[in-house]
Amino acid sequence: MSTSASPAEPSASPPEPSTSGNSSQKEGAGEEARDDRNFECNICLDTAKNAVVSMCGHLFCWPCLHQWLETASARQVCPVCKAAISREKVVPLYGRGSSDQQDPRENSAPRPSGQRTEPDGSLFNGFGLGDNSFHLSFGIGAFPFGFFTSTFNLGETRPSPAAMGTPQHLEEQFLSKIFLWLAIIFIAWLLLA
Amino acid sequence: MAGLSPSERRLQKELMSLMKEPPPGVVVDVDLAEQNILQWIIQMEGVSGTLYEGEQFQLQFKFSRKYPFDSPEVTFIGANIPVHPHVYSNGHICLSILTDDWSPALSVQSVCLSIVSMLSSCKEKKRPPDNAFYVKTCNKNPKKTKWWYHDDSV
Ligand SMILES: [Zn+2]
Ligand SMILES: [Zn+2]
Repeated sequence: MSTSASPAEPSASPPEPSTSGNSSQKEGAGEEARDDRNFECNICLDTAKNAVVSMCGHLFCWPCLHQWLETASARQVCPVCKAAISREKVVPLYGRGSSDQQDPRENSAPRPSGQRTEPDGSLFNGFGLGDNSFHLSFGIGAFPFGFFTSTFNLGETRPSPAAMGTPQHLEEQFLSKIFLWLAIIFIAWLLLA
Repeated sequence: MAGLSPSERRLQKELMSLMKEPPPGVVVDVDLAEQNILQWIIQMEGVSGTLYEGEQFQLQFKFSRKYPFDSPEVTFIGANIPVHPHVYSNGHICLSILTDDWSPALSVQSVCLSIVSMLSSCKEKKRPPDNAFYVKTCNKNPKKTKWWYHDDSV
């Protein structure tokens, strides 16, 4: 290999620049345009945005491919070569220029249904409305009932209520405070969850 | 090209490339397409050395707002409808890529090339066997027809 007159070596000087300079420049420009086309989405024909590549090697914008997968949901094939294709089997491409390395499949609402919306805002929007508030107030209302019954049961196991100031009385007060705090924490958790 | 819908944007790109590098024997009416980007007329020439040598045909392409996810509606129009086993006398074409096998990676150019090769490979000029019945009963839109692509060899 090393003995041959390396025509493939990249450092080889261009042949006779004076004679073929003009034509090679033109070729270069054409090649550049063709290079750009190599990165065009096979669906919208623009330079691929949020690019993904299929296992068969075909390049698409994720929004474009996603729309096709939605359109042809019964027959998920590569638009170019008809190879089998699916959301899970495409590879996102991250060029140097792309600032965020977010998976393009994450945006443009990839899953059609059955997905929770993102937490910010949605909780408080739904808070005072319909179903949500019903379940929520039911949960809060039911808890103190359980709380009282449990303290009642606690008392029942003892033959007589403890006298004021005795260690038993203090312990009971301590326990009920713990339960109260647990109740408060539980309610706070309900509100924040 | 700002402000165009995705389908218009893509059609503009296709129009540009058809103008710049038209396939042999295919000429798009650019003025008409620029007036209404969703409806094109294409002149097609019968390839020399085939049964359609010297003939001129007109193809009409209608695009929906969902193009390229939705296939274009393609029919022969005008005085000369090619006599071919897959072309009905009302201009409807029985070609699977126009319905079932459509893909958004196909284009006006690839549809034209398919039609050119469909015509070129024809061995005998004749209408489809069910032409009379089909033309009487079919929908105006060939995409509404449930085509039965059984003899793709012709
Ligand atoms: Zn795209
Ligand atoms: Zn492919």
